[in-house]
Amino acid sequence: MVKLDEKIDEAIKEIFNGDKPWITIVWDDPVNLMTYVTYVLMELFGYSKEKAHELMMKVHTEGKAVVSTGSREEMEHDVARLHEYGLWATLQRGDQGI
Amino acid sequence: MTEQDSGEQHGFHRHGDNAFVAEFSQSEREVLINLVEQIIELLGERSDNHVDDPLAAMVGITTHDSPPEDDVLLRLLPNAYADQVDAAEFRRYTESTLRAKKYSHSMSMRITLKSAVDGIIEVDHDGANDWLGAMNDIRLALGVRLKVEQTSHEELELLAPDDPMRGVYAVYSWLGWLQESLIVALMDEAI
Repeated sequence: MVKLDEKIDEAIKEIFNGDKPWITIVWDDPVNLMTYVTYVLMELFGYSKEKAHELMMKVHTEGKAVVSTGSREEMEHDVARLHEYGLWATLQRGDQGI
Repeated sequence: MTEQDSGEQHGFHRHGDNAFVAEFSQSEREVLINLVEQIIELLGERSDNHVDDPLAAMVGITTHDSPPEDDVLLRLLPNAYADQVDAAEFRRYTESTLRAKKYSHSMSMRITLKSAVDGIIEVDHDGANDWLGAMNDIRLALGVRLKVEQTSHEELELLAPDDPMRGVYAVYSWLGWLQESLIVALMDEAI
């Protein structure tokens, strides 16, 4: 009988999860200006002012928002760029609760 | 997040297509230089000690895989994953790059301030982004020291006149206003 250990389980999940299983989350913090968060999302992701503003408001009112979705490597790149500009961001698998 | 009242002071304004200009008094310039140099120094404290492993130095692997113990450095160089093992792995391969980028934002801000003529500084779009990143790092650092997370703005405004944190809060608020003026000038362009 085949037994699934954690590593195999993870690899199988990755196969079935399609090509966009990871997400980047921006978390609310008391220092960053609302306009600054909007501006950084526009600059880094090329989002329209409306979309960036909407995401910023979600972070502000709900405490967090998913700002991008993609492969693990892409999300690591996004998080690194958000950290460069001082936003509080993390990445995780999209099927995990946030 | 926090909302900034733009107020009636000067701050940054746009000059033409790709220039953002601000005028500072001598003392304002000194405050900004002092703050940005402290960030540069703080990032330097976390520099890598690669004497044993020149190869790691060459490919940019950091000697740190645990998060900084200092709260300010931890806010500037945060964990990318909630999971500690993933966070350590990510840090090992990326922290030195992140430090270098923050260092270059701060150095860019410092150079503009040092080379200002008659207190007037002018930056292009990229220079403005450097300033925003560097000013934000200063505000994050001051915010940690002011315990902005646990303290309301009302409480901070009511600090006693002899409380050294009162002056820090004044600088923090002024920087927020200055940062806001630059964002407003940049957003003008984006419309």
